[in-house]
Amino acid sequence: MTGNTFTRRGFLGLTSAAAVGVGLTACTGGGTSTGGGATAAASNNLRLFTYEGDETIGLLKAQIKKFDEQNGTTTTVDSLPGSGAAVYPDKLRTELLGGKGPDVWRIWGGQIGAPFAKAKQALDLSPYYSKFSWDSKINTAAIGGMTFDGVKSGVPFVSLGIGAWYNKSLFAKAGVSGPPKTYAELEAINDKLVAVGVTPVGLGGKYGWDIMRLFEYLLEHTAGPELHDKLLTGDESWDRPEVVEAFALFKKWQDKKWLPQGALGLDPSDVEPWYVQGKTAYTITGPWTEAAAILSAKKSPAAFGNFELPTDKSPARHSGFVEGYMINAKSGNADKAAALIDFIVQPATQKALQVSASTVKGAEPDPKTLPLSAEWAQKYGSNPFYTIQDQAFPKKQADQYFSVQSDLLQGSVKPDAAAKKMQEIVSAWAKS
Amino acid sequence: MATIALPKPQVAKGKRGGRWSPWLFALPALVVYVAFLVYPALSSLFFSLTNWDGLSATYKFVGLENYFKLPSDPVVVTAVRNNLIWTVVTIAVPTVIGLLLAMALNGKVHGKPILRLVFYTPAVLPLVSIASIWGWLYNPQYGAINSFLKLIGLDGLAQPWLGQDSTALWAVMVPAIWLRTGFPMLLYLAALQGIPNELYEAATVDGATKWQQFWHVTMPSLRPAHYIVLALSLIDSFKVFDMIYAMTYGGPGTSTQVLGTWMYFNVFQYYQAGYGTAIAVVITLVAIAVGIPYVRSQTKEAS
Repeated sequence: MTGNTFTRRGFLGLTSAAAVGVGLTACTGGGTSTGGGATAAASNNLRLFTYEGDETIGLLKAQIKKFDEQNGTTTTVDSLPGSGAAVYPDKLRTELLGGKGPDVWRIWGGQIGAPFAKAKQALDLSPYYSKFSWDSKINTAAIGGMTFDGVKSGVPFVSLGIGAWYNKSLFAKAGVSGPPKTYAELEAINDKLVAVGVTPVGLGGKYGWDIMRLFEYLLEHTAGPELHDKLLTGDESWDRPEVVEAFALFKKWQDKKWLPQGALGLDPSDVEPWYVQGKTAYTITGPWTEAAAILSAKKSPAAFGNFELPTDKSPARHSGFVEGYMINAKSGNADKAAALIDFIVQPATQKALQVSASTVKGAEPDPKTLPLSAEWAQKYGSNPFYTIQDQAFPKKQADQYFSVQSDLLQGSVKPDAAAKKMQEIVSAWAKS
Repeated sequence: MATIALPKPQVAKGKRGGRWSPWLFALPALVVYVAFLVYPALSSLFFSLTNWDGLSATYKFVGLENYFKLPSDPVVVTAVRNNLIWTVVTIAVPTVIGLLLAMALNGKVHGKPILRLVFYTPAVLPLVSIASIWGWLYNPQYGAINSFLKLIGLDGLAQPWLGQDSTALWAVMVPAIWLRTGFPMLLYLAALQGIPNELYEAATVDGATKWQQFWHVTMPSLRPAHYIVLALSLIDSFKVFDMIYAMTYGGPGTSTQVLGTWMYFNVFQYYQAGYGTAIAVVITLVAIAVGIPYVRSQTKEAS
């Protein structure tokens, strides 16, 4: 029957279109908003998006409330904790494209924050730098970490150094009296720890960025500061003996069981606290671990210590990165958003937020509440740092780099092939 | 014999809305459909022909360039292979286990409702929870799986399940099978209960063994159920994303990438929305190619 034929065809057509729709709708994101760009109307409402963890979000909300009371604003704080740089930027991007992006957001510097500045989703904050004199209040090097193509697109409030955080009782169990002074001493400590049945360093390979902290340290050790920096910018070839040596050492750390068994499949959020739980002797992380892992587990900071990983090079450097705030270029409340950021970067607010490595002068960590962070800041805070590698490269190249690390640790590529592969990745990026 | 005159249905004089009436009734749903499915789908199709980064206000039309790049992308090759393996395994294994469980539960079994609940429960658990639970089970040093293997003396089989290319995809498939067995089990159970007992009685009278009854009575009677299970599982398997993303994040390296996750990485993480959308279009075309025979068969039956 004609009617039946029509119905069946129509149904088929509609179903096929629905299938197309469902499949494609998944990735439209905010495509339709590209032609937009309208600035939202001004109001007293602000929204701040962050990735504060459960242990510190209460402190932030309390300070924001204080700001609201002083300024007659109503600020909503949304947080996506625990996801790290692997997920948070995606959520932020989706919100921005959806047209309901936050007025202010927290973000990492380097290549993680750069796309938001380059796409002009983040406001040029130069006028506010002048208005609030941020240049004189905030560490200059940190400001550089949130300046993209000469445009100050973010206000850094924290500059974090990566080092080794260790469990004193496990070091003592292995007969280790204190932190290593040289790379050879670090290897000797690892051997002693393995000999008493303790896995030396707790790092997880899921997402790639955690286990990368070991490789970048090894590269700093083999290549030294000048060459390391040139490698990160693509100004020197990765296909060279120093890089091959770093990859060989990286493999050695796994083969000698200095890393947890099956480290590549482990989640960093599971593995990082292991040094506090006594499952590994140390980890490679930043001062946030004191609040996030030690204090949250109700452990005494006195049972733990930290040290800069010895590179045997001069100047001694560690990996580091900055985090700060950006303002939505389409926000109708840019002035109030800037005032909010200025409030956050006041020394009193920074102290109330217990920021463990503030970029703000006069907001150094309090030795009473964060003794280990204060110790790190005092001993190593003024040392130069190299850009942490997942911020040195765009995400795509960083993932390709993690893939090389993974292949190397699984033995499917040799150190010299890994160095060649890295050169292909970095030169392709430099040419693009 | 007296006849009773049935009242004639009242026919409205004149046309109320005429041939436009069905469209008027369908309009609200059609508007939603066009706004939230057709329009985004067409705009996605358009963006797959551009070099849009997913953030900027500008982009360039690049024609089919994104599609031409697909075959030379080594991760796409890995993803297609993984999709095929995933599809075959996560259809075949849950379907067979689901059928066996349904047959077992269709007989006289003590605690049948509880068993049904036990087997179906994984299907309703949040996927992220499942991923976390299995992530802990697979932990090479402290996980229950390796601990159990070591306990029974099979130390050599203990592996870093999610931490090596050779086992990662298979390790993710195990929880996928676990959670997907309940669905075919329920469908088959319902279908089994609809098979008339007389068919089995007649077969018994004719001297058919249990095995012959299974192949010549049960299986043919389950044909509609087979079709639904296979078609829906096929579509579901091909668009896999969540389990991979939550358990391995596509790693180690890119060894467990599937088309869904690779599309996501490109669109949302690499700022290559044009290229990522081209992957989405390919996934959709494959899903349609698979879905059309199912829809056709269903509409044939309906007509």
